[in-house]
Amino acid sequence: MANRLGTIARDLGRMLEALAGLILVSVLIPLVWREWWVVPGMILSGLLPLLVGFGLSRAFQDADDPGRLHGMMIAASGWFFVAVFGSVPFLLIAWTARLDPTVLEIPARFTTGGTRTFSTLAAFQNPLNGFFESMSGFTGTGLTMTDNEAALPHTLQWWRSFIEWVGGVGVIVLTTAILARPGSGSLTLYESEARSEKIHPSIVSTVRTIWWIFLLFTFFSILLLWLAGMPMWHAINHAMTGLATGGFSITDNSIGTYNSVAIDFALIPIMILGSIAFPIHYLILRGNLRNLYKDLQTRWVFIFFGLGTLILTAVLFGQGFYQTETMTVAGIVLHGRTATLLQTFRFAIFQFVSAASCTGFQTAGSLGPGWSAPAQLTVAFGMIVGAAAGSTVGGIKLIRLLTLGKGILFRIRDVFYPSTAVRTFRLDDRTLSDDEAAQEFEEAAIITFLWILFLGVAAFVFMIALPMGPDGYTLENVLFEVASAQGNVGLSSGITGPGMPTVTKVMFLFNMWIGRLEIIPVLVLLRSLFVSMEVYD
Amino acid sequence: MRLEHIPVIGPLLAAGADDSVFDALLILGPIVIIIITFLGRTLPSVLLAVAYTGGFVGYIAYKGVTETTESST
Repeated sequence: MANRLGTIARDLGRMLEALAGLILVSVLIPLVWREWWVVPGMILSGLLPLLVGFGLSRAFQDADDPGRLHGMMIAASGWFFVAVFGSVPFLLIAWTARLDPTVLEIPARFTTGGTRTFSTLAAFQNPLNGFFESMSGFTGTGLTMTDNEAALPHTLQWWRSFIEWVGGVGVIVLTTAILARPGSGSLTLYESEARSEKIHPSIVSTVRTIWWIFLLFTFFSILLLWLAGMPMWHAINHAMTGLATGGFSITDNSIGTYNSVAIDFALIPIMILGSIAFPIHYLILRGNLRNLYKDLQTRWVFIFFGLGTLILTAVLFGQGFYQTETMTVAGIVLHGRTATLLQTFRFAIFQFVSAASCTGFQTAGSLGPGWSAPAQLTVAFGMIVGAAAGSTVGGIKLIRLLTLGKGILFRIRDVFYPSTAVRTFRLDDRTLSDDEAAQEFEEAAIITFLWILFLGVAAFVFMIALPMGPDGYTLENVLFEVASAQGNVGLSSGITGPGMPTVTKVMFLFNMWIGRLEIIPVLVLLRSLFVSMEVYD
Repeated sequence: MRLEHIPVIGPLLAAGADDSVFDALLILGPIVIIIITFLGRTLPSVLLAVAYTGGFVGYIAYKGVTETTESST
């Protein structure tokens, strides 16, 4: 037991050291924006995980390499504590403004009560709100406790974007890339962070290649968004959160703030890039473009996004939600139903890609109360399914749904063959034996079952804690919000905010945590904790 | 000087796709962004951004075409 704790503590310490590096690097932002008053808070926030991490990793430096059980416990506890320590910048900066020491000369808008700017930052004086924001960021969810993101200090805007960007690839992937510890221990941790595909035989080379791809795409995305019309600061933040399919914004109404067709359509390919597995990106960058349609998951990303967009367009067009008199496209003026159809398509494609890629950018401001139940449920379905495994997205993942679908068909067809017939199951160019196929079905079925189970549990908690009915929320509002949190999406039907009941915040923290790690590692950690506390054997 | 010997970004470049154009784009990315930030939205900065993004997409397409041609011959 002590040895097991040593292994977990040592690797947890390394993750906290990496987190400290992220916070201390972020001190550059207040220096650039001349937000001197946040510097002490940021430095203290960095020193705290640095000291704890250094202490843990040195005290247990001789601990064994992690096995499968350790790996899952390290991944689950690591993500939890990284979110805890990642919330300290929110807390300290909010309390710096609250205490308002004269020497720091804090701008009056952050210290004068009664304004939205003040209340936005003041929300983080509550540690639970900061923890929620941090967990939402690292897990790439994007649900927020802020009232007006544009009113936050630039440093916190950056910190929110930065943690989503890092979280999109993975905290363990980052730690492994920096520490370069070869061997099976790193592979075990890598697999515990909801990844399995390797680009190279070496895990260290694999995670470094993932960062190489991610950085290259980030620079491209920043410049694409700037060309589409975003100011550079906005482009940097939205490129990071869009590519990481996180969805935090630095504007009050997400992407709807810009009301720009060019920006909408520039973000769509960025969100799609985040939805494709890194090994496929690597092959494409090496010139093998055929993988865009030959790879099963990637092919289905496009099919799923396309079908979802068509269905959502049809539902919203039928509802007549985006009635438009005239619309100009490339200099051509459109009128009447054609204009309405194109305007509906514009919102539908953006919202479905945003949902299914688990990004959570919003252009449709009235998505919650305004859209019909079928439209909301179409988007919720996209959020639940997600896109490709091995990318930055959340949700159940397309490959599991495809495995289940093909598996069900295989079992049904089995009845029509003689019992002596030898049949093989093919999945993504792989021919699986009976045992291998059974293992694939089992894994996909267990994750899907647990996903739906916890979706139901959270929906039940919300229906008890929130006002329901004509003056409150509807069932589809609740299902939409819960699917958004657990799928690490971040689209909101209006439920999430600093004023929501504490029990619902705690429930969402759990949903976001299990959603990012695909449930099993968190359950393994909780079981180990309960066993060690002798809650049960 | 070998790629992996460049401080900080060396190991990252060495982990790339063994392609000098992509490595150059990776190194030039932050420089281009900083230049554009200082220039603001002017014709030269727009041209610079178009060159970077166009170069990135164009090079992937070029590699795709050459790879397909090579594999079919």
